[in-house]
Amino acid sequence: MSQHDRYDAIVAGAGHNGLTTACYLAKAGLKVLVVEKNDWIGGAAVSRALHDGWTYSNCSYVCSLLRREIVRDLELPKYGLQVIPYEGGASFTKGGDYFAYMSDHDALRREIARHSLRDVDAYERFSQTVIRQCRFIRPFLLRNAPDPTSMKPRDISELLFLVKQAHDLGSKELGETLRFWSMSIGDFLDEHFESDLIKAHIAGAGIIGTGLGVYSPGTAYVLLHHYMGDVDGTIGAWGFARGGMGAISNALGACFEEAGGKIVMGSGVDQFLVRDGKVTGVALENGDEYHAPIVASNMDVKRTFLQHTETKPLPDDFTKAVKRFKIRGSSGKLNIALDALPDFPAAPKGASFLRGDMHCSESLNELERAYDDWKEGRWSQNPYFDMLIPSQIDPTMAPPGKHMMTVFVQYAPYDLEVDGVRAGTNWNDATRKAFSDCVFDKLEQACPDIRSKALHAEIRTPWDIENEVGLTEGNIFQGELTFDQLLFNRPVPGYAQYDTPIDGMYIVGSSAHPGGGVMAAPGANAAKEILRNIGKRGAMSGYAA
Amino acid sequence: MSTKTYDAIVIGGGHNGLAAAATLARKGKSVCVIERNETCGGMARNAAFTNGSLAAQIAHLLYNLNPKVAKELGIGSAKAPLQTKELPTVSLQEDGNHVVIRGTSASLSTGAAHPEAAAFDALISRLTRFAALLGQMSTKSPPALEGGLMDLATLGELAGLAKLGFDLKRMGKKEMREFLRVILSNVYDLILDDLEDSPLAGAMAADAVRGAYAGPRSPGTVFSLMYRLGQGGGAQLPMGGMGAVSNAFEAAARAAGVEILTGKGVARVLIEGDRAAGVELDDGGSLQARAVLSNAGPNATMMLAGPEHYDVEAVRRMRNQRCKGTAAKVNLLLKSAPQCTGLNADLTAGRILIAPSATYVERAFNPAKYGELPKDPVIELVIPSLTDASIVKDGQHVLSAVVSFVPYGLEGGWDEAAQQRDQALTLATLEKYAPGISDLVMEQQVMSPADIEAKTGAPGGHWHHAEMGIDQILTVRPANGTAHYRFGPEGYYLCGAGAHPGGDVTGVAGRNRAFQLLKDGVL
Repeated sequence: MSQHDRYDAIVAGAGHNGLTTACYLAKAGLKVLVVEKNDWIGGAAVSRALHDGWTYSNCSYVCSLLRREIVRDLELPKYGLQVIPYEGGASFTKGGDYFAYMSDHDALRREIARHSLRDVDAYERFSQTVIRQCRFIRPFLLRNAPDPTSMKPRDISELLFLVKQAHDLGSKELGETLRFWSMSIGDFLDEHFESDLIKAHIAGAGIIGTGLGVYSPGTAYVLLHHYMGDVDGTIGAWGFARGGMGAISNALGACFEEAGGKIVMGSGVDQFLVRDGKVTGVALENGDEYHAPIVASNMDVKRTFLQHTETKPLPDDFTKAVKRFKIRGSSGKLNIALDALPDFPAAPKGASFLRGDMHCSESLNELERAYDDWKEGRWSQNPYFDMLIPSQIDPTMAPPGKHMMTVFVQYAPYDLEVDGVRAGTNWNDATRKAFSDCVFDKLEQACPDIRSKALHAEIRTPWDIENEVGLTEGNIFQGELTFDQLLFNRPVPGYAQYDTPIDGMYIVGSSAHPGGGVMAAPGANAAKEILRNIGKRGAMSGYAA
Repeated sequence: MSTKTYDAIVIGGGHNGLAAAATLARKGKSVCVIERNETCGGMARNAAFTNGSLAAQIAHLLYNLNPKVAKELGIGSAKAPLQTKELPTVSLQEDGNHVVIRGTSASLSTGAAHPEAAAFDALISRLTRFAALLGQMSTKSPPALEGGLMDLATLGELAGLAKLGFDLKRMGKKEMREFLRVILSNVYDLILDDLEDSPLAGAMAADAVRGAYAGPRSPGTVFSLMYRLGQGGGAQLPMGGMGAVSNAFEAAARAAGVEILTGKGVARVLIEGDRAAGVELDDGGSLQARAVLSNAGPNATMMLAGPEHYDVEAVRRMRNQRCKGTAAKVNLLLKSAPQCTGLNADLTAGRILIAPSATYVERAFNPAKYGELPKDPVIELVIPSLTDASIVKDGQHVLSAVVSFVPYGLEGGWDEAAQQRDQALTLATLEKYAPGISDLVMEQQVMSPADIEAKTGAPGGHWHHAEMGIDQILTVRPANGTAHYRFGPEGYYLCGAGAHPGGDVTGVAGRNRAFQLLKDGVL
């Protein structure tokens, strides 16, 4: 039984990037269909009620990278999106102390001084450098990555834009930029700070979501990737989407439907239909077929081409490049329903930093050892985590007086090693439980009564994330953020402008430039590219018009 | 003490210092090299066992000598003789299924074809092509960027980069894309995308990280492998030991008229009116010169002139140089030639690697990060006496081993007990592949990274004076703003491995500095 509906464009996957592409295309007047395998939309930006009365942002959990140009173009606040910034954060030690990060500059200086007088000045230098680098990189996020091998006028003009931006940095800053982009976050912090605890507190942002350690070159850039966003213009700030991260997807979905788009849920793409090198539509797992001359895949590049497209018509080099594209799952998550707010005995009662991101890692070496475990196929025995209790700021996440805790855990391997065999299928109830126990043990460093307050915990491993969300190996960025996979190399050299060897088929997810995070930039840039290619460049609304 | 004013004084008689001195002297300048040790040679020197047999004290093979430098200085000519022999590489496996690598061809030690020979050939050939392209940057100045990108002088230097870009383009789109993809990548993924994880992969991984504070999974290690392949990657054994290489550089320098003063340390560099004016020696004497070149590490070079001559930022940069040495040297004097399981005598004379897989190499690096010795170390060894009997007595043999991932900052420090642990670890590892070797040992020499620092002044005992990471090469080597060889005060230059293009026995860093000094019109 098959349906033969014709559309101008089909988007496979209702993640935030797919929905963004769909919105821009629909607003440009195209008849657009979004197909989604789950019974809900959002991909990894979802709010799910998995324990009665609680809402979990069960994948992504905080918001900063979402480009404000896109928020404005698509009028997302009109569709219910509200981002509430949170302030500060803390790292707790075994010895009962903590380092607190505070957005109040003077308070922060006093807190740093409590750990090291010297680091007070170091922090000023550190933050100046990071802000400068953020300002440098932000203009590139909503532009195409130029192909340096191409002589096309637009590639050359994009390259010239890059040269101009580099030139405007001035000689000294240009040298610093070259260095910063190729350094490890560990070395960068070592040359600024002396306090291990402060270094550990900052370093987390350099490894979140990656298969790299704090001393792997390139992780200073990853830190930037987590600092280059903003909340209401405050660069580097993070916030909660009210109602959970699903609020972003729901706003995008509402915008899309109001623009005339249609979403079909409950059956994923079985096969992208290709004839004579051109895409003709999609066949779903339930047998339905939909046809369109344009198909945008929000799935990562591996899943798109190695699982759902016949590889025979693809150039061998392309298939090989897709196969070697690195998408390594390195993180897991615990989403916990709390009966009451846990006690943080080290912190002053009601301290503002308890409403921010909390950690229990005390040194760079501890973080690096966590990475060594992962390389061997084990979860970190002494893991890094990024823990928040969003219900303190957004009461819609839990029943009155109760709380919701989100714990992002690194590192956890996709292919867990058991008895010498590494496989995703080694993740079962027993190993999941052992993983969760290991995280709870470490959470007790900050809040010793956490076990008695926990009513329910959802344990998510890279294996679970792959199976539910569809992210290959559970990698949250749809591909490592290393330089061999950024800019014109992302996802495949020669196909870094959202196009693929198949006519009319596009990659619009985080596998494409500028990469992962709830940023929506790949989706928006891809829409711009699609409209340009069909001669409707003028129909693009908003930032790219 | 002479009252003569030299055109230039070179601090340190390592091969780069000698290359700089020789280059200047050949342009008619009066040059004096001052060496703290009794003989020149830096890391390329011989050490004698008690009976007079010789072994390479630190570096033991030559693979990156720049032919342009050798030709300019006459290295290998009658005036500065140097003979070398290229060795095959043998990557060992405990079960005796060893891999033999000659150039781009891989085979098994049994003589049979290696199942991955074609894939290896394609991979290593491509890397060697890329390395040759990058090699053209080594003898040029790195772009200084000082006047901004549009400055005329900078544009001239950027022309070097433009030429590289042009040559890349000429390789075709596909090759250019591959170059741009792999250049910043890690060698572990690059190798394992094409090869199984075996001694063949292990050999490539080990070559990429030897001497470096990096494991094969660290991004930037494809670049370090390419750097090593700059002259094709063939390992040359110098006849007469590694000391013969320094002797050749020294002979070339003397032939050009360079004076060499040994056994004298430099206490400080004399600065007059923000200009280098000479050096003060440890014994209180002083020598005058119109320019001073330092073959020491970047931070030591700064300290010799005094940090007051540098801005705060530069001082901070020098103090934060990444230069943690990770290679120790162990030399064994053996009663007779050892027998590696499954290896014939011919191959035993080769460059032998203990790096049975890329994963093994990564695992060996892990403990070094925490100041611990590796459990199973990566070793590069050679038994030079099998090729060159002149260096030993009475049918004995010497085994020269570079043990990787032995940390400079060993937990607890480098005392005698630590040296013994390092020695025992090396022997125990060798014993797995050459059973019975321990019984042949007559005498041992150990150089930890701390010893290497003490002996040669190389910061952290690091082979390259500063880690060859992407964040410390080209325009930012040794640090942003000091890449142009001129180092602080006018007439003061860094001429060692800490400057562009970097380490290995290449002679390029010294030679480049000499040319830059002449170009700057200091003399």
